[in-house]
Amino acid sequence: MKINCEFVERVLCGFIREELAKTGYERGILGLSGGLDSAVCAGLAAKALGPANVLGLIMPYRDFAAPDIGDARDLARTLGIRSRVIDITPMVDAYFAAEPTEERTLRGNKMARERMSILYDQSARDKSLILGTSNKTELLIGYGTIHGDIACAVNPLGDLYKTQVRQLAAHLDIPAAIRSKAPTAGLWPGQTDEDEIGITYEELDAILFELVDRRSSIEDVVGLGHARDKVERIMRLVRGSEFKRRMPPIAKLSSRTIGLDFLYPYDWDK
Amino acid sequence: MRIALAQIAPALGRVAANFDLHLQEIDQARRAKVDLIIFPELSLTGYLLKDLTAEVAIDPDKDRRFQELKSLSREIGLVVGFVEEKERGLFFNSAALLAGGDVLSIHRKVFLPTYGMFEEGKFFAVGRNFRVVPTPWGKAGLMICREFLSHGAHYLLLAQGVELVLAVSAAPGRGLTEAEDFATSRMWEVMAEAMSYFSGSFIAYCNRAGYEDGMAFGGGSFIFNPFGRRLAKARPAERDFIVQDVDLQELRQARTTMPFLRDDRPEIILHALERIVKSYED
Repeated sequence: MKINCEFVERVLCGFIREELAKTGYERGILGLSGGLDSAVCAGLAAKALGPANVLGLIMPYRDFAAPDIGDARDLARTLGIRSRVIDITPMVDAYFAAEPTEERTLRGNKMARERMSILYDQSARDKSLILGTSNKTELLIGYGTIHGDIACAVNPLGDLYKTQVRQLAAHLDIPAAIRSKAPTAGLWPGQTDEDEIGITYEELDAILFELVDRRSSIEDVVGLGHARDKVERIMRLVRGSEFKRRMPPIAKLSSRTIGLDFLYPYDWDK
Repeated sequence: MRIALAQIAPALGRVAANFDLHLQEIDQARRAKVDLIIFPELSLTGYLLKDLTAEVAIDPDKDRRFQELKSLSREIGLVVGFVEEKERGLFFNSAALLAGGDVLSIHRKVFLPTYGMFEEGKFFAVGRNFRVVPTPWGKAGLMICREFLSHGAHYLLLAQGVELVLAVSAAPGRGLTEAEDFATSRMWEVMAEAMSYFSGSFIAYCNRAGYEDGMAFGGGSFIFNPFGRRLAKARPAERDFIVQDVDLQELRQARTTMPFLRDDRPEIILHALERIVKSYED
């Protein structure tokens, strides 16, 4: 799981630069939560594009994560990137005034999609491409909101496990305040990923690395000393979240159907 | 002999832009007094073509740009990659060796990787042969990417007395370790070291750089001499341009010192292979 951070930085900065160039963009935009993943993505983008070509959107809901908002502001200042704060409270509260719910996940998902909606609008206004910040761990277990925080134009971090993003964060000199805090999806106050998923990222990544990268069986992974119920639960999460990683199926009728036999590269004509 | 490896990043599906890029690299090579410049696999089209395959295919006998490259080869040898439509509706992943204003060889890729991220078997027809042809520098054989990792393909060139193995590639890098390169770069060099040594031939391998649909191509193009020594290596996963002199006298020296080629027995291998293959059907 140990990576060569200099090499990975070079490949990912090249990726960000070339993806933007192919689509005719010079600038990148991303949501800054004050957490590790968006900080690392912002750090890479600042190196790849120059800090002035990166816009970090800080989108708080009430005072849910006041310390994180402070960390996000500090990060933008440290990196020298442009940043803006857009409060999502009025839009989210207006919706829930009409459609009340106390269910935390529903409320959290709505906030994630509100941020996505703003990010897409601001990307068009700023003529900048949206950089994704979902890492491989959360994409694999589906720990993200579909059409919410998972939405982006290109994702530099999606093939790095959380613990590898941590290595990269140290290499990029991301401020200690961000590197040392407990990871949270920020769906409600006091939430932490590791509490909610019920496993440390170290163990989660080790299990995913075996199951996915090494194609090990559940039996093999249990044999390495991981509790069976954990391994099986993680495998269920991976299986159950494939819909978040794919375009939805189209009912095939014609002889040439999008996605099935109309097959062009993503980089078509770029 | 002076060889250039043009580790470029062709634009996907944009043949006109890639042709211009070829002209620029050829110009640079000519200024450096290069005898032979090698471009990567599918250098005129980009790699991940899918349904674009049919749209970028050319008939080399009729294609204006290909004919222009052929003319340019009066001054400098060229190896280029392209989608060949020799018969209507049959598309090959091909590489051409051009020199002296002639097409010396066109190789149609035989081993089309079709697993995991690779889908070549879905879009390309299968080539049927590995040929060694005389060139101004010696006997040369072309290989395309995955073929380079086949013992059998190397053996077929060896059995024809190959002196210059010219390999073109569009190999994505994959696998992270603590090394400053993709894990896969090692397999190409392991093969090159062994095959150059045991066939007593030069190996020039030109991979590409750039990104297509998120894949980073691994770069790391190289040249090995007939003693299995690496003479040059391009940067991993970035564009590069390598110029390297090779001493063709080393072919004779290597083959005199270690007579692997002399002592090889293709007819025995052939008969044994016939028996083996026949036994598959029993």
